[in-house]
Amino acid sequence: MTPQTTTIAASAISVTKEYGSGEDKVFALRDVSVDFYEGQFTAIMGPSGSGKSTLMHCIAGLDELSSGSAIIDGTDLSSLKDKELTELRREKIGFVFQSFNLVPTLTANENIRLPLMLGNNKGDEEWIQKVIDTVHLQDRLTHRPSELSGGQQQRVAVARALASQPHIIFADEPTGNLDSITGAEILTFMRKAVDDLGQTIVMVTHDPVAAAYADRIIFLADGHIVNEMTEPTADRVLDLMKSIGH
Amino acid sequence: MFRIALKGILGRKARLILTSLAVILGTSFLAGTSVFSDTLNRTFDNLFSDVFKNVDAYVRSTQVIEADFGLEERQRITSDLVAIVEKMPGVRDASPDIQAFARIIGKDGKPLGSDGQGPPTFGSIGEEFAGALWDTAEGKWPVGPNEVAIDEASAKAGKYVIGDSVKVVAQSGSRTFTLVGIASYGDVRSPGGATFALFDSITAAEFLTKPGYIDAILISGDGSVSDTKLSAAIQAALPATAKTETLTGAEITAETQDQIGSALDFFGILLQTFSFIALGVGCFVIYNVFSISAAQRQRENALLRAIGASRKQITRAMLIEAIVVGLVGSIVGVVAGIGLSSGLSALLRALNIDIPSSGLVVSQNTVTSTIFIGLIVTVLSAILPARRAGKVPPLAAMRATALEIAEPGRKRLYVGLGSIALGLAIIVAVVVGASNTYLGLGILFVFIGTIVLGPIISRPVALFLGRPAARFRGITGAMARQNSARNPKRTSRTASPVLIGVALVTAVTALAASIKGQIDDVFTVQFKGDYAVTTDNQFTGGLSPSLALDLNNLPEVEKASGIGLITVKLNDKGQYFTTIDPRTVEGVFDIGLINAKYSDLTTNSIFLSESYSIRKKIPMGSEVKITLGDATQRKLTVRGLYEFDELAGNFVVNRAMIAKSLVNNFDIGVYIVAKKGLPDEEVRGTLEKAVKKYGQGTLLSKSEYINKQSGQVNQLLGLIYGLLMLSIVIAFVGIIITLLLSVFERQRELGLLRAVGMTRSQVRTTVRWESVITSLLGAVLGIILGIGLGWVIVFALKDQGLTSFKLPIIPTIFIMIMSFIVGLFAAIYPAWRATRVNILDALNTN
Repeated sequence: MTPQTTTIAASAISVTKEYGSGEDKVFALRDVSVDFYEGQFTAIMGPSGSGKSTLMHCIAGLDELSSGSAIIDGTDLSSLKDKELTELRREKIGFVFQSFNLVPTLTANENIRLPLMLGNNKGDEEWIQKVIDTVHLQDRLTHRPSELSGGQQQRVAVARALASQPHIIFADEPTGNLDSITGAEILTFMRKAVDDLGQTIVMVTHDPVAAAYADRIIFLADGHIVNEMTEPTADRVLDLMKSIGH
Repeated sequence: MFRIALKGILGRKARLILTSLAVILGTSFLAGTSVFSDTLNRTFDNLFSDVFKNVDAYVRSTQVIEADFGLEERQRITSDLVAIVEKMPGVRDASPDIQAFARIIGKDGKPLGSDGQGPPTFGSIGEEFAGALWDTAEGKWPVGPNEVAIDEASAKAGKYVIGDSVKVVAQSGSRTFTLVGIASYGDVRSPGGATFALFDSITAAEFLTKPGYIDAILISGDGSVSDTKLSAAIQAALPATAKTETLTGAEITAETQDQIGSALDFFGILLQTFSFIALGVGCFVIYNVFSISAAQRQRENALLRAIGASRKQITRAMLIEAIVVGLVGSIVGVVAGIGLSSGLSALLRALNIDIPSSGLVVSQNTVTSTIFIGLIVTVLSAILPARRAGKVPPLAAMRATALEIAEPGRKRLYVGLGSIALGLAIIVAVVVGASNTYLGLGILFVFIGTIVLGPIISRPVALFLGRPAARFRGITGAMARQNSARNPKRTSRTASPVLIGVALVTAVTALAASIKGQIDDVFTVQFKGDYAVTTDNQFTGGLSPSLALDLNNLPEVEKASGIGLITVKLNDKGQYFTTIDPRTVEGVFDIGLINAKYSDLTTNSIFLSESYSIRKKIPMGSEVKITLGDATQRKLTVRGLYEFDELAGNFVVNRAMIAKSLVNNFDIGVYIVAKKGLPDEEVRGTLEKAVKKYGQGTLLSKSEYINKQSGQVNQLLGLIYGLLMLSIVIAFVGIIITLLLSVFERQRELGLLRAVGMTRSQVRTTVRWESVITSLLGAVLGIILGIGLGWVIVFALKDQGLTSFKLPIIPTIFIMIMSFIVGLFAAIYPAWRATRVNILDALNTN
């Protein structure tokens, strides 16, 4: 499947991220430039320490860049103050993390609507119901996270990320803590969100099977983009990973 | 294990500081009050040993009437005894001594010295004498009827210099003198803040008391015989009819020191009581911090257990931490307490109570007992959390989150309810008729029960209190509400110190409101005048009796009547008798006479309160034998009974009875009824002028007078509030510590919230409202308990004449608002810390 549109949802331009200084200076990202397209499911892959999570954090406005710029929907994040950046995350970005995705004191329903409520925004009720239907959470809405299984918790997280119809969704190893069947379920929901609901998703993963759900895969190693693949399958991903010495 | 414990402590300096803070505060109050009391005691001991340094023998009357409040009235001796003593062998010098009421009037016409229950104002003798109490700092000693010397502090306060005219008020009226000397007492400007006017011995006797009478003789020996022998010889030389006793210098010093000491002891016990309450409140905070810390270290402890540490070792490690915290905290507390006590001394000095600067007394006892108590309290508070820490299963190391198990057990419910039921049963038993002494026990059980039930009730109550926050503050308020209820044990432990503080404040406030209400009622019924002249010197002096006579002669005055108070010995016990003027008292001051007229009160009669008459079985017509302050005896016939004993006490006599005696004759108040139909300002102006002539006494309208009476309760209330502040401060710090630890514990959650779009100000709001809800939780329960406690205390004071309980509605609302504000302020730092959570660090913590 090739991208239906070439509109850019988010991009990194010459992004460099370094830690420490002098002799101890370590580069997490070196001069990385990449565009993410609207309506596309992109996976970022790479071995541990390759900088894949750092790249995601930088584009999502969770981490500061050493140089270069990260752009979401035409806005350069480095120009924003903390409050504006927070509001941008709330309104334009959805997040799914590996674990500890939900606020333990809030119900599933409240967790789904959390970003909207934080912005005093009622949201599009019809859309929210559709999202809840899509992830099959109708009968779990009044439960608190401690009463939900790991898979259910991740479904709530996906629903939260979708609820505000964000410009782009970032998922950081969303299936990392799940068994393969539950993981597949979550990935199917994410795929559906892109295909049926027209969302844009960027997912960080090290799992070739998970990456195979994406439209496009970007491979990172030692802070560089080393390869790219469209219409992947798990086998092709594995082969490529072997060839780049994963 | 010891090393692990130590490393654990040093590895978490922030927590060490937080835990120690509670210990430091508790022990510093303890040490501070103890150092302060010791310093005060030492100061007065030194003062009196200085004062009587050159006095080897002391002659005074054996006739004394002791009354309530430790007051005594000793009869005077005749001044001719001085001549006998002076001629005795072994006597170098003998000097008469008088200490009586006198008040120096300032240049602006206002009397010097502080109002209310402040230090007394005295008149005394200032003469050259080898054993003199006073030295002249400037000028010379007064000679003759027109000269006066005053103490340095008064000279400074009144801006008087030598050569000025000084007006002084005493029993015999007011008089103007020329200032010839400024005196110092030992090495202080004035003893304990009292004011002194000094005269030569003849003038002193004539102006201050009665001509020819003195209080005592001070004797300085020539050293040829011992003080004991000298005293015995003097005593033997004095006529038995003079009824004297002779003390040695050491004896009078010790006696005076004891008297002051017991007054100071009371003050010291009061201070200590409140610092122990504060320390008790501190226990909750220490307990809470250790509990949270144990919960947060659950995984770490589980890991230690998994690799082979025994339960005991885990518990011991935590107790070692408690010992270190207790020791460090107590030592810092002692140092902080010394600072605190010097602050208290500075405060007293600012209030013009000059205490000699002999330095702070830090006794070894204070230091060791404070450290010991601090250590014990800390370790005791840590025992339960430490035991719980040891019980952690090794498997808990594998669990994802380390949340405290928050389900309160059934046992807790039963114990709590049982304790409250027992307490209430005791209180009911007392109300029905059991002895009042059980009340304290009943209250204690109710308190314990409430605190035991805390974890069970805190969740529903916090959720209820959090409703407005959730409603009006949207998601942040809703989260604050949930946060305050998510760990009921922790919330209730944090709220408990607030609960105790607020309960005590509320109880004291309710008591004060009831007393004030009663005073209002009593004065409204019994005080019938339009104006009153009052004085603050109720025991050491007062208004000249001629003031009432003067006022009666004014055309604007319908009637004016003076009321006095004398000490009388009845059945070998000192009693206060109210003196009235039967000719004028009617319609001015109503004592509720039953079957009698005021004119029945002749100089040979007495009126008794109805309740006293019934209690002591002394009916109308019976005879009562009394001894006056001048040792003369009287037989009085009961000619009337009266109902209102709140102001008049149990005994009312005719003031004419003491007119010609040696008894001090003062009015403590003059009540005035104005002529009808005259403009208020005119009457007031005339009265003001008449009162001012005496240089003493304050003219008040009826409402001002009643307000002033109930206002005296405010002074005491202020003192107790001040002392309870210690507990409130600790409760406040407790909230801060708990919030900080909670914020630390919820880092990941905060990181997540920040990531999905919670702004810093929303984070602050959440923490702030959680704090407010916790504080209000304590306040609401505290107010309920406090009102109950107040009611119980008022009930217990029924026999003391307190009959009606009044609910302090406005103060209660004020306490709620204050608790709200305390919650807001306590949240400031923790909320700031919460906004500083690094999102990525928080999310990456596993």
